[in-house]
Amino acid sequence: MIELRGLTKRYGDVTAVDGLSLRVEPGTVTGFLGPNGAGKSTTMRMIVGLDVPTSGTALVAGRPYRSMRFPLRQVGALLDARAVHPGRSARAHLMAMARSNRIPVRRVTQVLELVGMGAAADRRAGALSLGMSQRLGIAGALLGDPGVLMFDEPVNGLDPDGVRWVRELMRSLAAEGRTVLVSSHLMSEMQLTADRLVVIGRGRLLADAPIDEVLAAGRRRVRVRTPRAAMLATALQAQGASVTAMSERELEVSGLPAERVGEAAFAAGVPLHELSPVEVSLEEAFMELTSGTAQFTAGGAGSLA
Amino acid sequence: MTARQAVRPGGTIETLKGAVAAEWTKAWSVRSTWWGAVAGVVLMAAASAQTAIYIVDANTNTDPSDDRGVTAWGQVAAQAVELAQFAVIALAMLLVTAEYAAGSMRTTVQWVPQRGALLAAKAVVAAVVCGVTGAVMAVTGALAAWPLLGSWGAVSATGLIGDVLTIAVYLAVMGAATVGAAMALRSAVTTLTVVFLLMTVVPASLSATDLTAAERIAELLPHAAGGAFLRDDGDPYSPAAGAALLAAWAAVALAAGLSVLRRRDA
Repeated sequence: MIELRGLTKRYGDVTAVDGLSLRVEPGTVTGFLGPNGAGKSTTMRMIVGLDVPTSGTALVAGRPYRSMRFPLRQVGALLDARAVHPGRSARAHLMAMARSNRIPVRRVTQVLELVGMGAAADRRAGALSLGMSQRLGIAGALLGDPGVLMFDEPVNGLDPDGVRWVRELMRSLAAEGRTVLVSSHLMSEMQLTADRLVVIGRGRLLADAPIDEVLAAGRRRVRVRTPRAAMLATALQAQGASVTAMSERELEVSGLPAERVGEAAFAAGVPLHELSPVEVSLEEAFMELTSGTAQFTAGGAGSLA
Repeated sequence: MTARQAVRPGGTIETLKGAVAAEWTKAWSVRSTWWGAVAGVVLMAAASAQTAIYIVDANTNTDPSDDRGVTAWGQVAAQAVELAQFAVIALAMLLVTAEYAAGSMRTTVQWVPQRGALLAAKAVVAAVVCGVTGAVMAVTGALAAWPLLGSWGAVSATGLIGDVLTIAVYLAVMGAATVGAAMALRSAVTTLTVVFLLMTVVPASLSATDLTAAERIAELLPHAAGGAFLRDDGDPYSPAAGAALLAAWAAVALAAGLSVLRRRDA
């Protein structure tokens, strides 16, 4: 489990991470989403003790990372696949890593096979493709057989086979009861991989909910076509919905489910030509979350309008 | 997962052992360490040969004031180390600066998050690698001086062993000090510039002023301290005082490195 409590990081006047509090639970894949510069990498760096938080704490398995004797046995993290000495072979890199945390050296061969790098193990890290570097980074994260795993953009540079492999790996790690936190800017990838989403924007928590809820939140919009749009808009607003006029005869309603919109139209005597819930992809839900300043959290009746 | 997440027992010694093993593996799995060691030995052979030729020249020319007399092979090596040390210093420096250049310091501190243990491990590995290389260099230098000195050369088992050990210890301390300086400065260019200035240019310019105050300051710098430790001539102070002063410089460099490592984000 990863637990953040009021985690904050400021660089001078810039607040990169702003009072982030959340728990990443074991047994699930948690997607960590946000636009570039939202603070995802800074948050992950603070979790593994690379950056010192300005205030707040980050705990992994109940402890600050910096207090762990052999952290690789508890936390595996792939933050920057290219952060390897270019002249050192993949195998030597993992050997040094294993020895640092007194992990049996035979694990090196095991994880190299696991990530499909057996043939490239003795190549210099500088000569590896980005995809191979990612596999090496993932091998390093798995080396200590840790209960908590963190991956920053793990599918970067992977071919479609590699992407599918990473997806299945994440799912199986979570199925084994491990805590898996994966950051990505690829919403479609998250839709296929994650059970739960944590969305941040400008360093602040925007959403922390099961993926279905985030999608459902976006789906709460309803499109209505009617010749008496103005009248219906007034009736709906009286019920607390927010209404956007798409054209003279078309409204988009949020804050009310389709059934309630239909009932309101019936009560107001407005004929409807169309009444349909708007299906949104995770991509759109994400855009809505991060473009506004509204907060949506699990259990809260947050509005996306 | 509870068993896996349970905190493993193990003291600071265990952490340090792991960190040293990792740094050792890292040191020998890049070419720069091998090149540095080989360059140190080659440079030492060349510098010792040159020093031996100078000594013979000085002894046989018409000017009696520069006569050095019969010189021990090992003392030739002890003089030549002043030049040859830079190969070993570069080797030690690269153990740190290459990690900042590649960004791999970020992975290294993930493996060993205790900054003190990490710095200690790097310093120990640098000291051992530089010390052992230094011993090989010292023997090479003495052997290179031998045929060139001819009858102006002298050797005794205890004298040679003493010189080899002194050179090994000197380079071990320099290696550890360089790790500290590199940790504090992070970049290879800055580190090499600072070490080079402190070991050559600054003491030379201070001594060249002929001002007593400047000379006194020069005597406190690591260059003079190392010289006093290496050369058994009591100038400007005893080898023991030189060793103590050199150790103090190394301690300052390591403390600076630790302070930066603890304070700044990786």
